Amino acid sequence: MDAGIEQYLAEGRHALAFELVVPAYRDRVFRLAYSMLRERAAAEDATQETLVRVWKALPGFDGRAALGTWIYAITRNTCLMELRRRRPTVSLDDPDSAEAQRASASVATGPAADPERENLLRLVDRLPANQQEAVRLFYLEDRSYETVAERLDMPLGTVKNLLHRARKRLMELARPDEVKAA
Amino acid sequence: MNEMTLPVPCADYEYDLVELVDGALAPERARAVRVHLAACPRCRAWQQEFATLDARLAATLPRPTLSDSFDQRLQERLASLSRRAPATDSKAVADRDYSRIMEAIRRGARRHAVLDALASVAVMACLLIAAGRWLAPLGGAMSALEGPARWITLGVLGSAVAAAALAWSAHRGALPLAGGFR
Repeated sequence: MDAGIEQYLAEGRHALAFELVVPAYRDRVFRLAYSMLRERAAAEDATQETLVRVWKALPGFDGRAALGTWIYAITRNTCLMELRRRRPTVSLDDPDSAEAQRASASVATGPAADPERENLLRLVDRLPANQQEAVRLFYLEDRSYETVAERLDMPLGTVKNLLHRARKRLMELARPDEVKAA
Repeated sequence: MNEMTLPVPCADYEYDLVELVDGALAPERARAVRVHLAACPRCRAWQQEFATLDARLAATLPRPTLSDSFDQRLQERLASLSRRAPATDSKAVADRDYSRIMEAIRRGARRHAVLDALASVAVMACLLIAAGRWLAPLGGAMSALEGPARWITLGVLGSAVAAAALAWSAHRGALPLAGGFR
């Protein structure tokens, strides 16, 4: 699909190229945006904003980076701007911050009658932002290390380390709660 | 083993256990890890706990999708942006074309002016040479003039020739006179 898009770009047929970009990338962009913003509506808005920016910038795309890399970078920047707009003074890497604690309330969850599910989601919200993002994206992308590395523009080893630390931390956090419940 | 504490796997196998659960381990390494698991109860317990967490995360983390109306809203937004863009683009293109044309006219006019001036000088030189031979018999009359009278006479004749050359160039429209390009 990218080869077709790049062919159209090389021929200066940007409108046709964009018509291929939308179906190829909208869901991937949405999943990446959701992993960062954690709200469906916000992720959808960010996806639309990203595709509009791609539409405007496509004539100037010079091919120095891969098309996907370029689009995911626009996605991350769009989401970071939204996160800054929401929380301009709070560190996103501080799991104990008041904002981080309240953030769990913003997550779209399933039925309130499922406390185990709610508990696990709250534990995920307590992870540092970069670990949360990696974990959410990993399970959104059917547990593919390579896909997560591509979306986040990180080396594969870094992604594996990030996911390993995150899930190990979740195991540690989950155990005391299970013991308390018992 | 204390059930309140998380079992600690063998350090050499911890990452392998994670990748085994994720299905990312190379076949040869997977076989070696399974052999170790058969002989190590600590690693077995840790891997089982990790696999349980992994399954819970896969089942619990939200997997939202784009709304059905996303494509339509995106197209409407792009159409709105496209309607605003053409007027601005056309004016900019027209302005650029006008500037290019005027610059080309000025460059052409300067070339003509230089060529005409050179032609004027050449013509005047030929006329003067011819006049010199024709007026030779009048040389005696000129020699009768002495001092300032001779120079005044020569100056008047030279000014008349220069004025005639300038008038001819201006008549041709080759000189960049004020208002000459309306």
